Amino acid sequence: MDPLLLGATVAVVTILVLFSGVSVANGLLIVAAGFLLIFDGFRSLELMPEIFFGKLDNFALLSIPMFIIMGASIASTRAGADLYEALDRWLTRVPGGLVISNLGACALFAAMSGSSPATCAAIGKMGIPEMRKRGYPDGVAAGSIAAGGTLGILIPPSVTMIVYGIATETSIGRLFLAGVVPGMVLVGLFMAWSIYSTWRYGSVETLMRSGTYTLAQKLAILPRVLPFLAIILGVLVAMYGGYATPSETAAVGALLCLGVAIVIYRLWNLKALWVVLRDSTRESVMILFIIAAAGVFSYMLSSLFITQSIAEWIGTLDVNRWVLMICINLFLLVAGFFLPPVAVILMSAPILLPIVISAGFDPYWFAVVLTINMEIGLISPPVGLNLYVINGIAPDIPLKTILVGSMPYVLCMVLAIVILCLFPGLATGLPDLVLGPAV
Amino acid sequence: MTDTPSDMRGAGRRHPVIRAADALSTLCGWIAAAMIVASVMITCQMIFVRSILNHSTIWQTEAVVYLMVTATLLGLPYVQRLRGHVSVDLLPLALPKRFRRGLIAFTLAAGIVVVALMLYYGYDLWHVAFSRNWKSDTVWGVRLWIPYAAMPIGFLIYLIQLCVDLFAVLAGLDRKLSLEDHH
Amino acid sequence: TELRLSHQWSTSDVRHKVAQIVADEVAAADVDLTIKIFPSKSLFKPREQYKPLSRGQLDMTVFPLSYAGGQRPEFNLTLMPGLVKNHDHAARLNDSPFMGELEKLMAEDDVRVVVHGYLAGGFVGKDKCITKPEDVAGLQTRAAGKAFEQMLAAAGASIASMASSEIYNAMQTGVLQAANTSSSSFVSYRIYEQVKCYTPAADVALWFMYQPLLMNKTAYEELNDAQRAAIDAGAAKAQAYYLEEAKKQDAASVEVFKKAGVEIANMTQDEFNAWREIAKKSSYKNFVENVPDGQKLLDMALSVE
Ligand code: NA
Ligand code: NA
Repeated sequence: MDPLLLGATVAVVTILVLFSGVSVANGLLIVAAGFLLIFDGFRSLELMPEIFFGKLDNFALLSIPMFIIMGASIASTRAGADLYEALDRWLTRVPGGLVISNLGACALFAAMSGSSPATCAAIGKMGIPEMRKRGYPDGVAAGSIAAGGTLGILIPPSVTMIVYGIATETSIGRLFLAGVVPGMVLVGLFMAWSIYSTWRYGSVETLMRSGTYTLAQKLAILPRVLPFLAIILGVLVAMYGGYATPSETAAVGALLCLGVAIVIYRLWNLKALWVVLRDSTRESVMILFIIAAAGVFSYMLSSLFITQSIAEWIGTLDVNRWVLMICINLFLLVAGFFLPPVAVILMSAPILLPIVISAGFDPYWFAVVLTINMEIGLISPPVGLNLYVINGIAPDIPLKTILVGSMPYVLCMVLAIVILCLFPGLATGLPDLVLGPAV
Repeated sequence: MTDTPSDMRGAGRRHPVIRAADALSTLCGWIAAAMIVASVMITCQMIFVRSILNHSTIWQTEAVVYLMVTATLLGLPYVQRLRGHVSVDLLPLALPKRFRRGLIAFTLAAGIVVVALMLYYGYDLWHVAFSRNWKSDTVWGVRLWIPYAAMPIGFLIYLIQLCVDLFAVLAGLDRKLSLEDHH
Repeated sequence: TELRLSHQWSTSDVRHKVAQIVADEVAAADVDLTIKIFPSKSLFKPREQYKPLSRGQLDMTVFPLSYAGGQRPEFNLTLMPGLVKNHDHAARLNDSPFMGELEKLMAEDDVRVVVHGYLAGGFVGKDKCITKPEDVAGLQTRAAGKAFEQMLAAAGASIASMASSEIYNAMQTGVLQAANTSSSSFVSYRIYEQVKCYTPAADVALWFMYQPLLMNKTAYEELNDAQRAAIDAGAAKAQAYYLEEAKKQDAASVEVFKKAGVEIANMTQDEFNAWREIAKKSSYKNFVENVPDGQKLLDMALSVE
């Protein structure tokens, strides 16, 4: 069978299997086993556990549970509320100060968490009720937090960047830095839309209304923000200061965050600690299982010569590089609508990256574009993880309002991709500055 | 991902077989969580030993990797019990209830087949490593049957949990799997 | 018939070209045999290739034999400090009774050697040159191979274990101060951008690694006479090429480092001897203690002139 035709068959079968509601990891194993059995014979099945084990046998994967623990332990405290409250007290005079504070807190929290739902939940728990109380439209309150939460995978540390780094053998330290400025651009766009939308659909009074705080109150809240700055600084020093490699740094971050949660936020109740560990274990095992299963899946693709044939085939197509990039973005967007980011990256990055590089795009820039696509998937139907998180935090906002409220933020992200295409230096500039030109 | 596991447990979860499997999987979850915490500690110890004491770090990366692999494999049944393995539920949600149960049973059965495969060949790999006394190719030289044991054990308990879940679906005991309170 | 060959290097690497020569010769012989190459670890992880090879799930691989040292401890001798002096010595080693013993062990795993070959390597230092044992004292060092880790530790270095792909970043941020690996890896990971000094393999070198092209024995025996002859003919051509290129690699790496402004240091015969004394007390000793018949094998290897 022609490898390209076989590839198309695999794609269709995979889509059908995944849509049956089987868990993503099991589904990948099923498809891999089926095709290996039919086209490579029984003996190749023997290899599956070895490849499964071999995919997990990678030190860099350690950072995934670690960065998840960071987010989960901080999210279990009232740290998120502290963060946005501090920002709010200092931004009282600024129009739309509250929503700006919430988005700023999302960005800061994202710098301590590797995943998006944790960011969303941590800030949203206090932020959404407060915004609604002060008259912000429900759509803005829900949408801004849903979108702000997605920054968790763009602003470092980021689990999806780690997975991309492992799948494509690019530097994780450099990937992290590449996400910083685009993350800020996104925050800026989110803030701009939130203010415009509140003015347009709410009222100017809402924007101008704010709590009045004395200087004493403003100063009083600062100590509560210090632990976060210490954590972020500690992680940065460990990573870029010559103490630890990026994968090792994650452990420092996890320990710092657990420590802060226990000491400063008094999380010494064993039950509460277990909840943090349980949630981290659940999310990590879920992701690591997909990584291992996707490893078996991509062994199947490679063994049947599908990966190689697709790359060759696309190489022979003589298309404009920007047409190619638009097609890749559309593909990622659609895949992200349905599948979790980790699965999309693992299945597509090894095939896409050689194509992207041969078309003259930067692999670190592409990582950022890919991640923003995955962020869109998190707040778009039908499988939008952050939407469900918001729904859990604020059950009285109808899902439809959350959805409609999130749509403009999706457009902000598309706009960010366009901006990045026009100014790739926004992604590559910081890593080049800190680490020198790319290897 | 924020929905708590407790609301996933329907009345049917009181069946003794189901409860036994749940208990076993929960135990695995505790062990997996403990292993993740141990990896945090060992990694921090390694950074300290290397950058502050400037000593050799021989065993740490390897130990951490094997702990993570084992935590993942032992975590599989626990995450299955918490329904934490992410899936695309569009089709099951769109189907009428009768077909939905059939489809869920079918996907569970397919998962059982492939996990049984992994268990069989995983045991085989463990056995070869054990009988030939294979070691890792490092100064530490871990006997590979020790980390490899995570495969037969993890996949076996995962298989049990999947079988029990299938039983619960077929017997109509699992409220969660009928997706009534899903999202 | 189609044979599958897997290896871990890019298509510009000398080891890929060795495999390519065999594949091309076999194709040119027109004996109904093709060799499909899976480069850049697109099929298996580097260290995972020996098991499928010995079980017939993979037909051929270009493989550093010491990677399988955990399964066959005798193979650790193929990456032992100071055992091989230079490339010509390595070529003589390939025809020696010592290699015959190793091939017997491989045969037990249903593996046979198609093309023999050794590649050499050296040291890099982030802040200073590393030529003699005293130079590594107190440095965080990443070594390629267990025997080298033991020798360097005995010389007072602190051993940091990490993937070779992390060397660049670890050197850059200062986690690592010295490293030892093959000439070609130094170049392909662009280590020259991060170091002050390079000690290449020259007249004397410590680091030689046996990286043959292996084939599943049963798969070979199941071929017909013409097909086997085609492989053998390709192998002879490839082996000659491999030896020539192996010598060129070292010189080429020196050029690259020089161009990047890195200082080049050379190891003297006395320094080499000092290293070997330390190796005898650490890695050789450890090998003999842990491998039955280890002393006999070591003596066989050392007896090759
Ligand atoms: Na983050
Ligand atoms: Na989505």
